[in-house]
Amino acid sequence: MVEFLQMVLSGIAVGSSYALMGLGMVLIYKASEVPNFVQGEMALLPVFISFMLLTSYNVPYYIAFPATLIFAFLLGCFLEFGILRRAKEPNVLGLIIITIGMEMILLGFVSWKFGADQRAMPFPISSYDSIIIGDIFISTLDMLTLVVALVIMLSMFLFFRFSKTGVAMKATQMNENAAALMGIKTKQIRMVAWGISSMVGCVAGLLMAPILVEPYMMWDPMLKGFSGAVVGGMTSLPGAVFGAYIVGIVEHLFGGYVSLEFKSVVAFVIIVIVLCIKPSGLFARHYVKKV
Amino acid sequence: MKKYLVYILTVMTMVVFGLALNATAEEGVTDTEIHIGQWGPQTGPAAPWGAVARGTDAYFKMINADGGIHGRKLIHHYFDDAYNPAKTKAGVKQLQEDTGMFAWVSGVGTAPGLAVKDYLMERKILWVGPSAGSRHWLEPANKYLFNTYPLYLGDAELLTKYAVETLKLKKIAVVYQNDDYGKQGLEGCEAELKKQGLELAIGLPMNVADVDMKPHIMKLKNSDAQAVLLFVGPGHVARLQGTGKAMQFEPQWMTSTTCGDHPLMMAITKGLYAGTISAAFGLMDPTNIGDIADFNKPTLPAMVKFYNDGYKKFAAKEERWGSTFAAGMGYVEPLIEALKRVGRDVTREKVVAELEKIQNFKSAMGTVSYTAFDANDPLCRIGQQEVFLVRAEPDGTSTILTNWYKTTYIPSGH
Repeated sequence: MVEFLQMVLSGIAVGSSYALMGLGMVLIYKASEVPNFVQGEMALLPVFISFMLLTSYNVPYYIAFPATLIFAFLLGCFLEFGILRRAKEPNVLGLIIITIGMEMILLGFVSWKFGADQRAMPFPISSYDSIIIGDIFISTLDMLTLVVALVIMLSMFLFFRFSKTGVAMKATQMNENAAALMGIKTKQIRMVAWGISSMVGCVAGLLMAPILVEPYMMWDPMLKGFSGAVVGGMTSLPGAVFGAYIVGIVEHLFGGYVSLEFKSVVAFVIIVIVLCIKPSGLFARHYVKKV
Repeated sequence: MKKYLVYILTVMTMVVFGLALNATAEEGVTDTEIHIGQWGPQTGPAAPWGAVARGTDAYFKMINADGGIHGRKLIHHYFDDAYNPAKTKAGVKQLQEDTGMFAWVSGVGTAPGLAVKDYLMERKILWVGPSAGSRHWLEPANKYLFNTYPLYLGDAELLTKYAVETLKLKKIAVVYQNDDYGKQGLEGCEAELKKQGLELAIGLPMNVADVDMKPHIMKLKNSDAQAVLLFVGPGHVARLQGTGKAMQFEPQWMTSTTCGDHPLMMAITKGLYAGTISAAFGLMDPTNIGDIADFNKPTLPAMVKFYNDGYKKFAAKEERWGSTFAAGMGYVEPLIEALKRVGRDVTREKVVAELEKIQNFKSAMGTVSYTAFDANDPLCRIGQQEVFLVRAEPDGTSTILTNWYKTTYIPSGH
């Protein structure tokens, strides 16, 4: 029983990182209707900027981390404004290709600028300490990730429910033309959505960085976050979070009881099963566009 | 008319003579140059190992700065294959068929190497020092393929032997990368445990893309493993040790030669690597057990020269001095020695003959010996079979734990 609980708790802990990545992807999908494959690298570059500020310029944490989040926000805005918006009469496939292209450019830039060596990022709390409840362990870093993920989810909920920008974002996603007719600057809204998404991803990146910083560190979390978002429904923020936790927990249970060898692919098996049963995801409403 | 005929005949003679000369010239060798190829990941998940190729490049530049070999400069052609066998094959074919390499050196990784092994061997192109301790380079033995990297089987053998006989530990586990490298580690450990009359506590596979180590640590804890051999990459070692510490599982960690860069390992594990025992096969002298070796202050004469005249002069400003970079010199030293011995008349056959005469050659990466080619004897091309053990200290130095140990060759399927 202890083993089972430990696996579930570990699954929830790792699922929190996936949830943050999934949230970022859903935010962009809701705004631009494009699965964003540059999500991981939108977090990667700011993480390396943070690493540089902390190690090369000895900037204190309380300045380096907020500065990194601002940079992430601006990076997201720039990618939407400077690249995605420039696409001429884009279709979804074209936009996906653009995000893949941006992913390669950012990854290449990070590899070129910072090199391929693995590094350890300084962090205010130790990633090796743990909290023990009975016979169950959770590392303080995992606990922090869990708390931060919950706080961000709650903030998102409040933002979309009560803030003007949040409501404008929802309106833009529901019907862009109608939103524009109501005076909403839909292009700006989309740009801000990219900025916020980049910031959320960056938080996930910063929470993973204390263990290891390397150019490919965001690839796996991005894929798992994407899996979680697809499972939960690409248009549902709670769905993305729930899906990510499912992926994290199932991965751990599968690794613990069935096979470590195929633990990584189980997320994709879940996607296939969910898409067969409920194509729009577990939480998103299925709707058919009328022609 | 006669005059024109003489001109035509002269030109034809020159053309025929020129072609004949060209036909006898060795591919990749001119009066002033020897062209040598190499692949290595400069991008992608295996990019940290790309320093091998950059190390070789600095080594060749150092040799050229000293006048080259018998008046010829070494022209080093290395390309980024991103550890992708398809890219390795395309790059090797292109360089071989467009530019013409005399030989290939090192080349990181078993899978990329396997992608071009047959291509090179069928064309009788020399390949020295594959940068992976794989049996594939020896089974079957190839006349033109000379190994210098001790097999991972041997690392596992000595680590297991040390854990059982010296540390008196009985429950040994292995976490292994789910490929040829990792599986050799598992096989070597199991073989040694069998000799000791013990059984493996647990063997856990690890995929290269895995980032979450909690399931592995939980299983290791449940197995009550006292020592864990890690046949994974440096990043996974950092993740395993970090997760282990957080979950209060701290066995005797032991690693293969691939994680022998102690200053790097100490940095990426934030000090958790201290106390870890790793296998090594060079770059320091293990004769005095208990000595402290500081890799940042090389003492072997060849390494001191390479550090001062190669690394400091020719490496990029941001290049870190580490064992991976230095290994770029070690893997190719036998070829350089053979080229020196062969003199001005450089052909592949003559270089092979000189390589076969190499006996007890003290390279930066251990003592290398080859014997005359025998297709049925993998050991004729193994180069070296000795490894030793070191323990990582908190300041990044290494304490010598054992002297050189000759490992056992286990053929595939045994």
